[in-house]
Amino acid sequence: MQVLQGETRGGANVSGGNGSKRLTIAEFAARSAGRADEYHRYNIDTVETKDVQPLPNRFIVKVGKVGLAKFLFKETIQYWGKWDVITSRPCTYGVFSGPVGGFNPRPKLCVGCLRCTVQHPEFTTITPNPARAALGDDYVTHLHISAIDEEARKGTIPVRGQGYRGKFGGPGWEGMFTDMSEIVRPSRDGIHGRELIGTSVDLGSKPMSLEFDDSGVLTEAGPQMVTIQVPFIFDAPPASIATPKLHRIYTKTAADIDTLVALPADVVRSEGLASPEVVPIIPLTAVATVAGFGNGTRIIELDGWDASLYLEATTTAPHLLVGVRMSFADGWQKQLLEVQAAGVPIIHLIADHHGLGVDGGFVMDTLREAHMLLVDAGVRDTVTLLGSGGVIAADHLPKAIICGLDAVALDLPLLFALQARARGDLSDRDDTPIKMPRRLSEQWGTSRLTNLSASWRDQLLEILGAMGIREVRRLRGEMGRGMWQTDLEAEAFAGIEGFPGGGA
Amino acid sequence: MTVIKPSETLEHKVTNLLHEGFNARAFGKYRLPEALGDSRWTDEMIVATWYMAETGEVPPDLNYKTGKSNGGFDRLDFKFLDEQEWLEHSDALDTTLELNRRGDERDKLSCDLPFYGGGMSYGSVSLNVMMARAQNSAKWNTYMSTGEGGYPEPLLEYKDHVITQVATGYFGVEEKYIQSTPIVEFKYAQGAKPGLGGHLLAAKAGEEVAKLRGSVAHVSLFSPFPFHSTYSVEDHSKHIDWIQTVNPDALIAVKVSTPHDVDMVAVGSYYAGAHIIHLDGSYGGTGAAPELAKKVIATPIELALPKVHDFLIKEGVRDKVTLIASGGVRTADDVAKAIALGADGCVLGTTDLVGIGCTRCANCEGGPSGRGCPFGITTTDVELQEYMQQDWGAQRLDNLYKALQWRLRDILRKLGLSSIKELVGRRDLLRYIGGDP
Repeated sequence: MQVLQGETRGGANVSGGNGSKRLTIAEFAARSAGRADEYHRYNIDTVETKDVQPLPNRFIVKVGKVGLAKFLFKETIQYWGKWDVITSRPCTYGVFSGPVGGFNPRPKLCVGCLRCTVQHPEFTTITPNPARAALGDDYVTHLHISAIDEEARKGTIPVRGQGYRGKFGGPGWEGMFTDMSEIVRPSRDGIHGRELIGTSVDLGSKPMSLEFDDSGVLTEAGPQMVTIQVPFIFDAPPASIATPKLHRIYTKTAADIDTLVALPADVVRSEGLASPEVVPIIPLTAVATVAGFGNGTRIIELDGWDASLYLEATTTAPHLLVGVRMSFADGWQKQLLEVQAAGVPIIHLIADHHGLGVDGGFVMDTLREAHMLLVDAGVRDTVTLLGSGGVIAADHLPKAIICGLDAVALDLPLLFALQARARGDLSDRDDTPIKMPRRLSEQWGTSRLTNLSASWRDQLLEILGAMGIREVRRLRGEMGRGMWQTDLEAEAFAGIEGFPGGGA
Repeated sequence: MTVIKPSETLEHKVTNLLHEGFNARAFGKYRLPEALGDSRWTDEMIVATWYMAETGEVPPDLNYKTGKSNGGFDRLDFKFLDEQEWLEHSDALDTTLELNRRGDERDKLSCDLPFYGGGMSYGSVSLNVMMARAQNSAKWNTYMSTGEGGYPEPLLEYKDHVITQVATGYFGVEEKYIQSTPIVEFKYAQGAKPGLGGHLLAAKAGEEVAKLRGSVAHVSLFSPFPFHSTYSVEDHSKHIDWIQTVNPDALIAVKVSTPHDVDMVAVGSYYAGAHIIHLDGSYGGTGAAPELAKKVIATPIELALPKVHDFLIKEGVRDKVTLIASGGVRTADDVAKAIALGADGCVLGTTDLVGIGCTRCANCEGGPSGRGCPFGITTTDVELQEYMQQDWGAQRLDNLYKALQWRLRDILRKLGLSSIKELVGRRDLLRYIGGDP
């Protein structure tokens, strides 16, 4: 124990390792600074990373040249000598501040405030750009892509004025709200108390109970877990656009932010990517090769389910966590329980890019069903649930966790963060019509994915902070933290004439 | 770029052009701008609001009643009587709202309209906007709230119609202004960003704003969430005791958002001493909020109101408290629907702003220019704020409120009701309509 004393005043003798020790204020400050430097709280550092392939402008700006010329002529006469008046522009964003003003507007700066069309309706027109609206498909809309683009560029939470502008609710995630607490906080520290909220999750299996022998010694080894700092990993890009550079971008970012990336086993081998962050996806036909990765590999995933092959994989590579990827095919519920019963520690549920299973079920429903099947069987903690498909916005992440996932495997958002362009329906994982930008440097790509990760993590913190939840692990399967439009409407509108199922 | 106050000539030019433009748009001289509007505030609804602010009447050929959000208010309609049973449209149709129903010794306040103005702080909006709203509130014997940004001295001219807000950052909270007000509003949460506190970006925290808030200029200001002194109804009660000590006459309003247990929150607030329980639904306005929060956290007001109304009845206290709804209440029709769902009255915010020229472009937080609203509404930029002058704004709001009151009376008479109070909780007078309205 040591005690602080003033620089000029002697303090009490205090015992130390080799007798008494007195600290001056300067010594104490130096020691404290050293300890403070040792302190590390997880954070993702971001750097604004500009576009290499900007999205089409939001708006088209049209100015009638004749009308503008007439207006300027009239103003010049009317306000002769008052140049501040004559040269004033109806745009604070610089659309008309180019060398020739409104005669050559700069639509990329237009934010759609419409002041110019109010002030000069006779010769200015602002219209939404159809090329922007055409981005994506009917599930991944241009609004999703625009949001991801901004998040990947800035690494911050998108903040705007005015209230919500969209539909009241809707299908899929649109019909789900998250709850909040009016007074409960996870912490009183920091501006919002959210600095101490944990976003790390554990992947692997926990025993439902501990067993000891007669002498009080554990009879089995403790749980084998891998902890990642964010509740999402990166899933492999579609084979049609996969390149070594793209794989390196994924892998480097995963390492930087302390998460994982799942990549095809042959890619991992041929491109020398084996590392603690990389999860090789192994075809069932290649199970014999599971032990060959090394370099710190911690988890592998079998691409499908076969009990005997799983046993072979775990026998061949007992040091690895062996997960199983399974789709929402017919009979998936039975298979899920079978896979769990076989002792698989990580089950990765795969929906298509629109979040749909073969039977047409959306992940918001199928994930809840999967989680509850395991809860009802009393085995939920023995397995980690990962999920791919349908998560394309920051709010979908906490919603998917509420529905039962431990962590989400991101797919399309990573590609749109890298400014990929969709060229049709994106739902099919095996045939995704998407094109990456030509100029794609590793540094740029890593920075964009890092920014996206930081933005989504920060938005997750907002949700958790509003709920008063201190760590994301507690959100898993907490369906009481979700509210569904259908349930709320049934309660609120019951008895109102014409309400489906509840009309008087 | 150096921004300076515009010359008188420039101000005159810009304001004239804007006023003429709003007039031309309202009267349909030009077709509806394609880039205007969204699902909740459609292009027609925005231009219809401009029309009402120009004329004091509802427009003959624009949908001023509902949006296209495909849910909530937009899927509810009234079960009007047959035309021969309609009452005469007259000033005798009562639209007043009582604000103190506790039966205690405090002031017995009421509004002539079943709505009052929501909190918008100095900083989030200009002083001209605050003054215009206060001036209009005095004219209509209703109220407007300071929001959390302090109490600009000029507002004292209308102090009997200005609600002093005390929010979690305590920005600008001074004893003098608590003593000046008829109503003190505790803002626990805001519907557009429930559970997240407030945020004024540095670009809008100028010298005057910072001075009023007791902060440092050009530094972003965060209101924490929640009140760091309040972790229970008992703590909340202490807050109210504190205000009562400073101003024994003021009514207490408690503004909360709409979590799943909002009914319990409402009852707790009543027992803590609140006169007004103000529920702010998740589709409400804001000067700056994470996009994520506007839809995802908490629930729309339409889905929270019936639950709270029913629970207050069950607890036997419904007639002792004034229940106010906000957060996506846009039109007179929305006000009436909210009342039928269980509210006594509403708070309007965005409607006021649209009335004075807002296009809902969502750049209130500063936008790429960092200067805030280009129309001079949600800004304290020395140039831009001059383009929305107090008298013009107050006149627009006066006209708008006149049209809103006309439509409310129109709804009442078609339902055969002589007072807005008779509509409270009358869900049986609503009809759910399917499909895109």
